[in-house]
Amino acid sequence: MEKLTFVEVISKLNDFWSGQGCTLVQPLDAEVGAGTFHPATFFKSLGPESWKTAYVQPSRRPTDGRYADNPLRMQFYYQYQVLVKPTPLDIKETYLKSLSALGVDTKKHEVRFVEDDWESPTLGASGLGWEVWLDSLEITQFTYFQQIGGKELDKISCEITYGLERVCMFIQNKFNVFELEWQGGVTYGELHTKHEIEYSKYNFDEADIDMHLRLFESFEKEAKALAERGLVYPAYSFVLKASHVFNVLDARGAVSQNERPRYIGRIRALAKLCAELYLTK
Amino acid sequence: MKKSDFLLEINVQELPVSYIRPALEQLCRDFLKVLDEFNIEYDKKENLVSAGTKDRLLFYIKDVSAKQKDSCREIIGPPKRIAFDEKGKITKQGAGFAKAQGVEPEDLRVKTTQRGEYLFIEKKTKGRDTRDVLREIIPGIIEGMRFPKTMKWDDSGLRFARPVESVLVLFGKDKLEIKLGKVLSKKVESIEPKAYLRRVSKETLLDPDNRKNKIRKLILKAISSLGADRHIDEALLEEVNFLVDWPGVFVGEFDKKFLTLPEEVLRVSMAKHQRVFPVSKKGRLLNKFIAITNGRSLDIRAVKKNYEKILEARLQDSLFFFDEDTKKPFTENLRQLKDLIFQKDLGSMFEKTQRLKTLSFFVCEKLGLEGSLKKDIERAAELSKTDLVTHMVGEFPSLQGVMGGAYALKAGETPETAAAIKEHYLPHGTEDMLPKSLAGSILAVSDKMDNIVGFLGMGVEVSGSFDPFGIRRNAQGLIQVIKNKSLRLKTDEFIEHSIGLYGDKLKLPSSELKARVTGYIEDRIDFLAGDIRPLELKKAVLNTGCLDIVDAFNRLGELSSISGRRDFLEAAKVVERTSNILKGAKEKVPEDVDEELLREELERAVWKVYAGSKNRIEGLIEKEDYVSATREYADAFYKVLHEFFDNVLVNVDEEAVRLNRLALMKKINKLYSDRIADLALIPQIVVK
Repeated sequence: MEKLTFVEVISKLNDFWSGQGCTLVQPLDAEVGAGTFHPATFFKSLGPESWKTAYVQPSRRPTDGRYADNPLRMQFYYQYQVLVKPTPLDIKETYLKSLSALGVDTKKHEVRFVEDDWESPTLGASGLGWEVWLDSLEITQFTYFQQIGGKELDKISCEITYGLERVCMFIQNKFNVFELEWQGGVTYGELHTKHEIEYSKYNFDEADIDMHLRLFESFEKEAKALAERGLVYPAYSFVLKASHVFNVLDARGAVSQNERPRYIGRIRALAKLCAELYLTK
Repeated sequence: MKKSDFLLEINVQELPVSYIRPALEQLCRDFLKVLDEFNIEYDKKENLVSAGTKDRLLFYIKDVSAKQKDSCREIIGPPKRIAFDEKGKITKQGAGFAKAQGVEPEDLRVKTTQRGEYLFIEKKTKGRDTRDVLREIIPGIIEGMRFPKTMKWDDSGLRFARPVESVLVLFGKDKLEIKLGKVLSKKVESIEPKAYLRRVSKETLLDPDNRKNKIRKLILKAISSLGADRHIDEALLEEVNFLVDWPGVFVGEFDKKFLTLPEEVLRVSMAKHQRVFPVSKKGRLLNKFIAITNGRSLDIRAVKKNYEKILEARLQDSLFFFDEDTKKPFTENLRQLKDLIFQKDLGSMFEKTQRLKTLSFFVCEKLGLEGSLKKDIERAAELSKTDLVTHMVGEFPSLQGVMGGAYALKAGETPETAAAIKEHYLPHGTEDMLPKSLAGSILAVSDKMDNIVGFLGMGVEVSGSFDPFGIRRNAQGLIQVIKNKSLRLKTDEFIEHSIGLYGDKLKLPSSELKARVTGYIEDRIDFLAGDIRPLELKKAVLNTGCLDIVDAFNRLGELSSISGRRDFLEAAKVVERTSNILKGAKEKVPEDVDEELLREELERAVWKVYAGSKNRIEGLIEKEDYVSATREYADAFYKVLHEFFDNVLVNVDEEAVRLNRLALMKKINKLYSDRIADLALIPQIVVK
């Protein structure tokens, strides 16, 4: 197997999916937990029009930080997101072809589609699909959206989310993310370890709880106010900020298991508001 | 008649494992039912194949008739007197019936029924071509399949568990096209059902049971080669059975250093995260696992290496957590609990453990527990939530409690304390394991009561499927544990004490909250008591009170075991009659009987019986011997009361005498209904 670098994997995926008619867009310039939060997915999956897109989305999940000590898990990582609407029936085959394009021999290695009902409670989004396992390593989340922003969908999008680090681990046969080759001899670790350690410290130990609690209230208020004035995208950007602030509070241990549903409910209400506004425009 | 084989294949994207067996059963049942309904004959059951894999549901049946059976049906028309006039000439109505049925007036016949003479015709229907019928019924069968969750994947409106890629319907030499959403017919060249089945069977092990046996054999062979314990995780086996259709096996290995991790951590990493089978020898885990693979073109060596490396990466992670967690004294986590919110309005986890300490101490007192056990429970309560701030539970939330127990033991706490911490979240559902130790049970009921009181106290309502705080699960768990260990607690005191520990944190006033908690627990006892006959017995017992949960279940059990017996019915009759007469009373009935006012000999006899048997019956109730108490009660009162009611009028005009007689009835009624069950709620009591 040809050992593609991290950067080469991205460019192969770009080539492959643009070859499938996807519009390549750039990452969202905001702190988000997943590629689903990008307007190119969240808003574009709502209406009846056809849409195909692919992009890299740097993602943050503060609770997943491990001070760069964990070979498989980080609070910052990269997703490769594909969204196809409407969903062609051969989308699974197309996905398998994308693995071949990356040099993965899907006959010699074991590909499993393991049931996983995906849900993003903060976005009021849910779908049915699978985790894709390659020799027991989860490399992709494969979902048929059923609901976005609390709205039951008529036209169904298929979302394919590659964990870029996981894919690279497999291809480079290195099961420690920090040892992956980024490009031209530079490792993933050289670029990310310090960042990962500092953010883990920040999320778990240093983030100012009171400030974040205040920020959450302010962002929520701003999102509502902007939505009232009909400014969909700015309103939505504040929903994302509130969502991230909540994630930091969660990592900081400032939110108990029992309190989480309420915060999530508040963010979901904002996301719904934006989805409704987007559809009326 | 000409017969052909039939085959239906639904090709679907990977189905959730748990959906497949029920789907196959449903497909087979519905299909045979429809064939019967449509009068299409087939080879009964033998040679029937209902089999499938993760992405293929297949149904094959031999020798299906090429045509429906002809049928003949009588259709009744108008009465003869309306259809024909006096001269025997057909009327407008008669001709109308013939026309509507598409027959000539000559074909009309007359039949004598109970209501008189009526016109009728014999309608013969020619059996249709089976292929036409199949094309018509198959879409409905597929659309009618039920799954726990269904989805849409296009805009045809069709719903299924996962997208249906294609359908194949073969009947004899014909491939039948059916209309099902936008689903296409599978592309195959002309082939007969049997040949197709053979072909598929060459590339997949279709039959779930055969496949499972094959996998079991593969695992057992691997176990033998390792000289390990012949134990297979059955739930995992069933799951894996529907992840693979052409099973292979390999034995993987991981570094021995990971065996220092608690077994639960190793098991979760293997079974849950990679769906491979842990292996143990003489009850202790080995650094080996058995993996069932799928497909025949695999490069097993490469696959195995990946499985091993991935497992080790995960275990490395766990080991790191474990080392981190055990570096500092476990009790140091206690301080961190002050920063961990239990619930915004209910304070921190630290406060919760303080409450649990007091509450479990209270439970121990009430149960008369002393000495080291009490100390162990108190200690366990204090440490019960400390594992929540460990890395390991952060990583595997499902191991909360389990890790707390393991860490406590490692930190030198007593085995009883460790066990109590480990078990206090149990049960996770009505079917789950209950705490084994008494200490764990006491901590479990204290934790659950604290949750129920806290959440309901915030004003949270539980309705139908909406129960975000798991109040239902907590209440059911509480009842199950109390019942299982026969913890004799007065629920009202328990609730009151728990409310008191929250101080002024709760929104609802204590009296209202107490009523709510009591009501909710009663509601859950009713649910957990299940199907008890007679149906009203449950209400009769629960209305009398469930302050002592163990006693409530005892009464339910004992009374339902004798509910068909004569003495039970007699006792019920006594309660019913006394209850009825009291219902009619307009004034307040006094509590005591005035012997001076007992005028009739019969009422004096009843009073004598009461005075003579009261202590004995109450004694039996104290001993919780409800079967004997019921018999004594029936023996004492049934006959004499029968006579009394036949001969003595209770509701006489003279007020003092009337009220005195009612007071006597009240005494007799309450002797049973206040303590055992209000049997007046059981309808239509007939003593034969």
